[in-house]
Amino acid sequence: MTRQRLLPVLLFAGVIILALIPLGLDPRGYEMRILCITLLFASLGQAWNIVGGLANQISLGHAAYFGIGAYTSTILLKLFSLSPWLGGVIGMILAVAFALLLSLPTARLKGHYYALATLAAGEAIRVIANSWADVTGGPVGISVPYLPDGSLWMMQFSTVLPNYYLFLAALVVICLVFWKIKSGALGYRLRAIKENEQAAEVIGVDTYRSKLIAACVSAAITAFLGTLYAQFQFFFDPDTVFGVATISVKMALIAILGGVGRLSGPLVGAAFIIPMEEMANSYFGSSAAGLSQFAYGAILVLVILLNPHGLTALFAQLRDRFTGKGGSHDRSVA
Amino acid sequence: MSKSFGTEAQRATGLSRRAVLATGAAALATPALTGRVFAQDAVNVGVIMPLSGPNAQFGINSRNGIQLVADEINANGGIKSMGGAPINLVIADATSNPTQAATVAQRMMSQDNVVSVLGAFASSLTLAISEVTERRGVPLLTMSFSDQITDRGFRNVFQIVSVGSQIGAATFDYTRALAEQAGTTLERIAIMYEDTAYGTSQSAGLRSAAAAAGIEVVMDEAYPLGITDVSPLINQLRRSDAQVVFPVSYLNDSLLIVRAMRQQGITIPTVGGAAGYIIPDFRDGLGELADNVLSISPAAYDQAPEYTERFREKFGYFMVHEAQEHAACMGCLHAALESAGKADPDAIREHLQNDVFDQGWATVMTGGKVEFDDKGRNPHASPLMVQWQNGELATVYPKELAKAEVVWNS
Repeated sequence: MTRQRLLPVLLFAGVIILALIPLGLDPRGYEMRILCITLLFASLGQAWNIVGGLANQISLGHAAYFGIGAYTSTILLKLFSLSPWLGGVIGMILAVAFALLLSLPTARLKGHYYALATLAAGEAIRVIANSWADVTGGPVGISVPYLPDGSLWMMQFSTVLPNYYLFLAALVVICLVFWKIKSGALGYRLRAIKENEQAAEVIGVDTYRSKLIAACVSAAITAFLGTLYAQFQFFFDPDTVFGVATISVKMALIAILGGVGRLSGPLVGAAFIIPMEEMANSYFGSSAAGLSQFAYGAILVLVILLNPHGLTALFAQLRDRFTGKGGSHDRSVA
Repeated sequence: MSKSFGTEAQRATGLSRRAVLATGAAALATPALTGRVFAQDAVNVGVIMPLSGPNAQFGINSRNGIQLVADEINANGGIKSMGGAPINLVIADATSNPTQAATVAQRMMSQDNVVSVLGAFASSLTLAISEVTERRGVPLLTMSFSDQITDRGFRNVFQIVSVGSQIGAATFDYTRALAEQAGTTLERIAIMYEDTAYGTSQSAGLRSAAAAAGIEVVMDEAYPLGITDVSPLINQLRRSDAQVVFPVSYLNDSLLIVRAMRQQGITIPTVGGAAGYIIPDFRDGLGELADNVLSISPAAYDQAPEYTERFREKFGYFMVHEAQEHAACMGCLHAALESAGKADPDAIREHLQNDVFDQGWATVMTGGKVEFDDKGRNPHASPLMVQWQNGELATVYPKELAKAEVVWNS
């Protein structure tokens, strides 16, 4: 019980620390960029966690929402000089529409079938982005128009410092949403679905509706993160934002590696994966290029082998060992 | 310190954890330290290439070209106006992911203080890098040919080759001119393309060029990437009675298609679109059957053999176009560094923008010189039509640059 009271304090302290970190860093530097990407992927992992973690609906098509968000705001910005804030909201609406379209037939699918259906849907959107070249720029990709001076309304800045705080704010909001859902009625319904869908139906849970709501919330969040990414990276192509490996699987990986279904899971997962991937590239990128991916993959396999429940479970085990609570740990607590 | 507290077990783990942390910290500090050592006098130049993944071979070729020029500069006493400062290449893998490419660029500018960046072969990677270099005011020299690279009004990007739309148009126009030169009027062409983003966009360019010229496309066929049986395609080609065929594909499919065509005795002119058609692997994969295959190319090694043969001596294969263009980029940067006299990105940018580069490696480009206009494009660059002749690539068009007569089987 003390853990549950301790948790908000810890998280609040974490946010303060994260807010203070950039003060000591070059606002246009490399470390800031890595931190931004880490925060972005922590948020993405958390968004995925709503469906993948709480309801155990393993989606491999979240890149579709991410890409819809990135493309919608960027296209509207290019064509009509519309602020990405508004473009991002429109992107969220479109992503929710797509999530509904996708969920209506697939939400009843289970396990592997759901994973495959979402995977295919994500790929379908990628193909559309590739071939609808008049609007999306096609396979070459699309650039956000450059404003040298930057402005908050256009979500473009001369350093990445404001981007960092946007990513941090997004992460805080998304964590709150996740926590709200998890500790609310919807969270219990989703967990009931996760444990045993038939039993959940028997006791009166509208499983279909619960899954639909979770999918829509997750899609909307992911889409807005796509807009934030577009305004941070300034250039992207269909293979990047709709990529299976670059987005869809990575979102799932971060949540799963950190600890699926836990609030802290994606945070730990992203804090581990993103810097590690970058360090592997930085060491081996010049001398033995292929080795960086190999090292990255090997470490991931190792972590999963060490503890299939994710890093947070590993930490909990370690702590329990030192505090003498024994090997058992309560997985239901975040 | 750890000895002063805790049980046996804690001490043991505490120590090992400390050791792990120390190792990690040391490892983290290593690149910074090595960077410093090299940075004393040397001028750091960033080289970002796809060194792993599907474009790795092209990235390695490009790196080789740049390395060759940098080694020559250093062997000849470095940058004279800077007291003989050597050039230190900071080479990094862009992978095939634009986000990663931008991160690498950021790393180079923050940690290695590169004065300029060269790269990154694939247009999507170059576009992502340019967003970072533009904001930091560091010049980026590239041979990626997407129009978009120099269409955004950036001040710090310099594109040494013709843009993609020019290359696309030249593919068709040169082919028509070559046919005319051989005494035939081009009326019927065949297009077969891989069913990918690359194939679809390239074939669309050809199709619209043909429509504009009033030439009939008698075969217009997509096929799946990695096709294993091309005989239906070849049969259709035979029936179509086309005068020229444009197979749009990377290496493996083009090998299959050309081999099957030649084995079935179809000898009509075959025009490829750079990429896999003008690398040694194409000749190695096809042997004699490669002869007479044409391709567009943004540069050709037979234009400046006195330079490009040095590449062949060092690396054992002819100087492929991406190596040659990147070498030219390095040549321009070298000249700009000499005239700037200081390792300052702004000064280098001014000289890249305003100087004429007609010495050394810059001369391997068409026109024998390089200049950059307001957009950052090189107006002297011109696409070339090359043809495989006796296992080597020979420029056959435009006429004033041609080094060999074209073989045209109409």
